[in-house]
Amino acid sequence: MTTADISHHPKFMAKGNVYLPHLAVVERIIDETGDTKTFQLNFKDEKLRNDFTFESGQFGMLSILGIGEAPFCISSSPTRREHLECSIRKVGRLTRALHRLSEGAEIGFRGPYGNSFPLDLLEGKNLIFVGGGIGLAPLRSLIWNAIDNRDRYGNIDIVYGARSPADLCFTYDLEAWDKDKTVNVATTVDAGDDSWTGRVGLVPVVLEEVEPPAKNSVAIVCGPPIMIRFTFPALERLGFTPEQILTTLEKRMKCGIGKCGRCNIGNLYVCRDGPVFSYAQIKDFVSSEY
Amino acid sequence: MKYGEMEQKLRREARALLKEGRVDIIIGFENGSLKFTTTPLITSDEADIDRLVINPFINNNLSVFLTETKGRVGIVVKGCDSRSLVSLLQDNKVTRDDVVILGIPCPGIIDLDKVEQLAGKERDEIIDISWAEASVVVAVEGERKEFPIQEVLYDNCLGCELPTPKEYDILLGEPASSIGVDNQADSLTKIKQLKDKPPEQRWSYWRNEFNRCLRCYACRNICPACFCKRCFVEESEPQWLLPVPKWQDNLIFQVTRNIHVVGRCTDCGECERACPVNIPLRSLSREMYQIADELFHYKAGMDKDIPPLMATYEITDSEDLVK
Amino acid sequence: MKKHKIKKRDLAKLLSEWSNEFTILTPSRAEGATKWTKWDGVDTTFLDWYRNTTVPPKALFLPAMEEMFSFHRDKEGYHIEAPLLDTPKQLVFGIRPCDARSLALLDMTFRDAYEDPYYLAKREGAVLVGLACTRPYDSCFCTSLGSSPDDSSHVDLLLTDIGDEFLMEAITDKGNKLLTSTSFTETAGKAAETRAKESKETAYRKVTRKINVEGVKDRLLSCFDNKDYWEKVALKCISCGICTFLCPTCYCFDINDEFIKNHGERFRNWDSCAFPLYTKMPVENPRPEKWQRLRQKVCHKYEFYPMNFDVIGCTGCGRCIRLCPVNWDITLALTNLPAKAECEQEK
Repeated sequence: MTTADISHHPKFMAKGNVYLPHLAVVERIIDETGDTKTFQLNFKDEKLRNDFTFESGQFGMLSILGIGEAPFCISSSPTRREHLECSIRKVGRLTRALHRLSEGAEIGFRGPYGNSFPLDLLEGKNLIFVGGGIGLAPLRSLIWNAIDNRDRYGNIDIVYGARSPADLCFTYDLEAWDKDKTVNVATTVDAGDDSWTGRVGLVPVVLEEVEPPAKNSVAIVCGPPIMIRFTFPALERLGFTPEQILTTLEKRMKCGIGKCGRCNIGNLYVCRDGPVFSYAQIKDFVSSEY
Repeated sequence: MKYGEMEQKLRREARALLKEGRVDIIIGFENGSLKFTTTPLITSDEADIDRLVINPFINNNLSVFLTETKGRVGIVVKGCDSRSLVSLLQDNKVTRDDVVILGIPCPGIIDLDKVEQLAGKERDEIIDISWAEASVVVAVEGERKEFPIQEVLYDNCLGCELPTPKEYDILLGEPASSIGVDNQADSLTKIKQLKDKPPEQRWSYWRNEFNRCLRCYACRNICPACFCKRCFVEESEPQWLLPVPKWQDNLIFQVTRNIHVVGRCTDCGECERACPVNIPLRSLSREMYQIADELFHYKAGMDKDIPPLMATYEITDSEDLVK
Repeated sequence: MKKHKIKKRDLAKLLSEWSNEFTILTPSRAEGATKWTKWDGVDTTFLDWYRNTTVPPKALFLPAMEEMFSFHRDKEGYHIEAPLLDTPKQLVFGIRPCDARSLALLDMTFRDAYEDPYYLAKREGAVLVGLACTRPYDSCFCTSLGSSPDDSSHVDLLLTDIGDEFLMEAITDKGNKLLTSTSFTETAGKAAETRAKESKETAYRKVTRKINVEGVKDRLLSCFDNKDYWEKVALKCISCGICTFLCPTCYCFDINDEFIKNHGERFRNWDSCAFPLYTKMPVENPRPEKWQRLRQKVCHKYEFYPMNFDVIGCTGCGRCIRLCPVNWDITLALTNLPAKAECEQEK
């Protein structure tokens, strides 16, 4: 997959002042782990609620007016439209403030921004999802999307891990996917606890144990930088070419639309040319910039 | 001023220091890429040593590089720079054994802005600037103009309290006499003018000045005394100041910075020189320096064996500042 | 397009006439640093000292600090007050060719993919009256980057100094309109054109600083991982924002909210890739070291901008060289780039 194939960007909200947020209500908050919550959102404006569309892989700039704004991937699937879901990990001033919100609170939303997973190129292929920690959030959108359009794709394998059982996100989805006979799930943790009876091992290691076939497959990887750095070589050892590996990257962002300059990897902006990239696109800069 | 001799001695000593492995890196000055400028030379390569220079344009305070340089350093310092170095020793940010101090007796550094004003020509249109006995000769197209030294040196040089480093390993020349002995008042002219104004006028003066501050942080980054790994303006929890350059926040930033470096600031004047929009920052830092002297009888960087000013407390300390 | 001329002593009258339609902006040093400010209606003595301003004209279109919108909160929730994005009619008088070119370079970013309404609104209403250089600095290197002291490519009207007069060449329709709307100019004859040609050629020869940018995009790509080179080159950099803030083509900005007693504003303000926290994420910082940030700055202008827009993102105005407190010089860094073979060895 080339840059041209991947870096298209549908412009839903291109009309008007692109920097003005739309107000959305936090309808429900789900506790994923000790430091991660999923927000279920809906726009205040009814027309927007009905008209809003997005594609798997895209993100929104969420803000608490008066505190700040940051990018969060949309972890719900466009095939399930009751509400928009964004998962938020508590790491700084804005996210701590987001975690203090109660259901019913109003936040700002700008988006959807970025490119998306190239569904037309994935059609007919086996999909291997490799996720770590909260990295499952952007993958989740595509996983449900693929399951809701199951006959378009080949095998679906999911390898997912977190530091510990308490750090596993979307456990309710993992259960549902595990029950689905058309999906293979391998969940692992870096270190177990007293009640954990599942796999123990780092995600790249478990991936090589699962040994998904590279033929006619695409791997989609998302997780902390250290996991990504070890997963790429593992996939290459399994026979995946850099063009067969997709990832979705995260960078500090402020504008979300390729203007403020800060999210670049080489000449590509993660917010505008990404966040979905093929490993082939970013190979030159990955070692030094990510 | 025997610049040529000092330069030769510097190159000999620096080369020997590197060759004999007594230091890992040399920090000095070399000719800049613009006329009448110098630029820091930071090198561990013997082949670069012949580029080292000493002349009346070596304005940088090279001590600023010490806190981020690993290994043993041979560093070139003028009087004021050596005081910054001593201050860093007092704060335990630099270990004495890790530095070889190459001291330059300094008669003052030429302020190109003043030369431009007096000669009526800009720096790149001046043909030559040379130091005569007690004056500086500026050659422009068609004529030579001579100015007394006091008129072309930086303001803080006019108030110099230590032209020759007290703390050094190698002194590169004969001790210099201080121009500051007879010119203290001149170095404080701008500050005195401000102090003579009533508070409301001073407030609107600074409001006007800080209106154009861009928050480039050159003043902070060029200052050897500002060595915090994370400056208070970079904190987000709590966020003391927004990065947005409103004049109120710009003023608070600068005043807070001055409070944070009191007792470490040696009035080297780099903050004012670095400011790209000509805010008279030294008027604030020098005044802070005066206050430290008046209240606590303390001048930064004069003695490496005494504790830093703000790390000690005497029962007899003035409490007038708490009002 | 028309060619007129005007006596320098009539310039104030010309500007006054134009000020009926436009807000006139001229170089000024009234505020402590040379920058573009609203013309006071009288003074044209800036012609005596003006070479180029410290603060570039980008500040007129992408200000150091800009309110994006305001909002307030009451018991019904938040309310956002959308800004009125008017297109002020501004006439930027005396802009240098390098700075005019910088606006064209900025346009590429602010129109790309999504349109930036704040920048573009101001650009739409602006008219650029260029002034060809007669006294380039020793830090200027525009001629190496496809421009020149008399480059009229990106202005509406170009003035050239021909002694006690200016030659005025209309470049665009907007510029043509400016000439036809005034009564203080006269048609220029061959003599004036000849003097202008001489003035331009003299100025061109005065630009002595040159760099070779042939293949610089590829040279930088091959040097990207040469840590030794970038570390050495970055040693004296102090990571301040001067080169980026005062660069006419740098545009990185930050967005911050302020909120006091239920009322707030969202601002944008200049930011710099030189700052350590510029790209810092909670997990890690992609560019914690000075040399990585310096490499980003150089590569953004000479490698990434060409990759995205087919043009080098630098105009050779030389402000970064003149204003850097440690005299870090981008032309030296580029000239001394190791050859491809040497970089391959480093890998």
